[in-house]
Amino acid sequence: MLMPKKVKYRKQQRGRMTGKAWRGSQLAFGDFGLKVLEPGWITDRQIEASRVAMTRFVKRGGKIWIRLFPDKPVTKKPAETRMGKGKGAPDHWVAVVRPGKILFEMEGVSLQDAQEAMRLASHKLPLRTTMVKRETIH
Amino acid sequence: MATATETKTEANLLEAQPRTPGTKNDARRTRRDGKVPAVVYGAGKDTVAIALDPRQVSRILHSATGHNTIFDLSLNGERTKAMIVDWQYEPIKGSLLHIDLKRIAMDRKLTVKVPIVIKGDATGVKQQGGILEHILREVEIECLPADIPSAIEADVSQLVLGKGIRVADLPHSDKLRFITDANQTVVHVTIVKEEAAATPEAAAAEAASGPAEPEVIKKGKQEAEEGEEPAEKKK
Repeated sequence: MLMPKKVKYRKQQRGRMTGKAWRGSQLAFGDFGLKVLEPGWITDRQIEASRVAMTRFVKRGGKIWIRLFPDKPVTKKPAETRMGKGKGAPDHWVAVVRPGKILFEMEGVSLQDAQEAMRLASHKLPLRTTMVKRETIH
Repeated sequence: MATATETKTEANLLEAQPRTPGTKNDARRTRRDGKVPAVVYGAGKDTVAIALDPRQVSRILHSATGHNTIFDLSLNGERTKAMIVDWQYEPIKGSLLHIDLKRIAMDRKLTVKVPIVIKGDATGVKQQGGILEHILREVEIECLPADIPSAIEADVSQLVLGKGIRVADLPHSDKLRFITDANQTVVHVTIVKEEAAATPEAAAAEAASGPAEPEVIKKGKQEAEEGEEPAEKKK
C-alpha cells in the first residue's frame, strides 16, 4: 500500500477541497488517462485496488503510471470509545483530489483495452471519473 | 513534410479585437461573451491585450502544423505574422482559457517545439512481446519560421527489445538545429514484468498487520541547540 516514508507531523486536520486541479490535469506520460470529475479523498486501498484491476486486465501488455499519492493521514478513534481524550490514532492514508486531476495513465495498449481497464479501475473509486486520451489517438 | 506556412491563406487569418487588460473579472466577462482572452507580444513592439474567437484558435491548434502554424493576425486593420506560443485549458471541460501569441519576423531564427511522430511497428513489439514506450513527445528546434516542420518522424520498425532512438538519431534537414539534448531517448522498446498474483495468505497477513507508521522527522534545530549548550557552559 502506498504511504509516505517520512512525515513532519503524525496527524493532520481535514482541510478543504475547493477549486479545480490546475496542476496534474493534462496527460504527461501515457496515451490514455483516467480523470476525476469531483473532489474527494481516495484511500491507499482504493488506489491499490484500481492499480491491481488495471494490471490484471492488461497483463504484460501495457505500462501504467499512478499520478496521485496518499500523503494525508486519517485518524480514527477505537470502537466504543467516549468522546474526548484527544485525537485518535492514524488509521489510513488518503490522497486529496480535486476535479480535473489525472489519476492514472496508460500506454502500450489499444484504445478498447485502455477503455476496459479504466472502467474496471473506476469501479474501485468513490468518485465520478472519465477517460481521456491524446488527440493523436483515434 | 508540410511546413508551418504551407496552409491556405483563408485559414491563416485570425481576427482579433482589442480589449482593455484588467482583472480576472474582465477576463471572465470576455469568456462569457464567447471570446477567449489573449495577449500578443514580440518583435520589439508593445504588448497588446486582445480577444479571439476560440473556434478559430482551436482550428489552428488542431491543424496539421498545430501550434507552430504561422498565421496573419488582423488587429485594428493591421496585419502581422504571428504564432501561438502558449495556451491554457480549463481542467474539466477542456475549453480554452487564455492564449499567448507572438509576432514573428520571417527572417529571424526562432525556437519552437515540434511533435515527434512514430512510424511503423517495432520488431520488439511484434515478435518479442515488448511494449513501445514513447518518452519524448516533442523536440525543441531552432530554425527560420518558414522551415518549421509539422512533425519529425521517428521510424521504429527496426527497433528490437532493449533498443531505442535518441534525439541525435532523428532525421532532419540542415535548416534546423536540435536544442534538446542529443542523447535524450525519444522512444524505446521495453518489457513490462507481469505482476505475480498475491496468495490469499499473504493478502490476509498484510490486511491484518495494518499500515506501519512512517518515520516522523524530528526538528534538527532543537538537537543542535541541545548539543551546543554544554559547550557554552564550559566557557
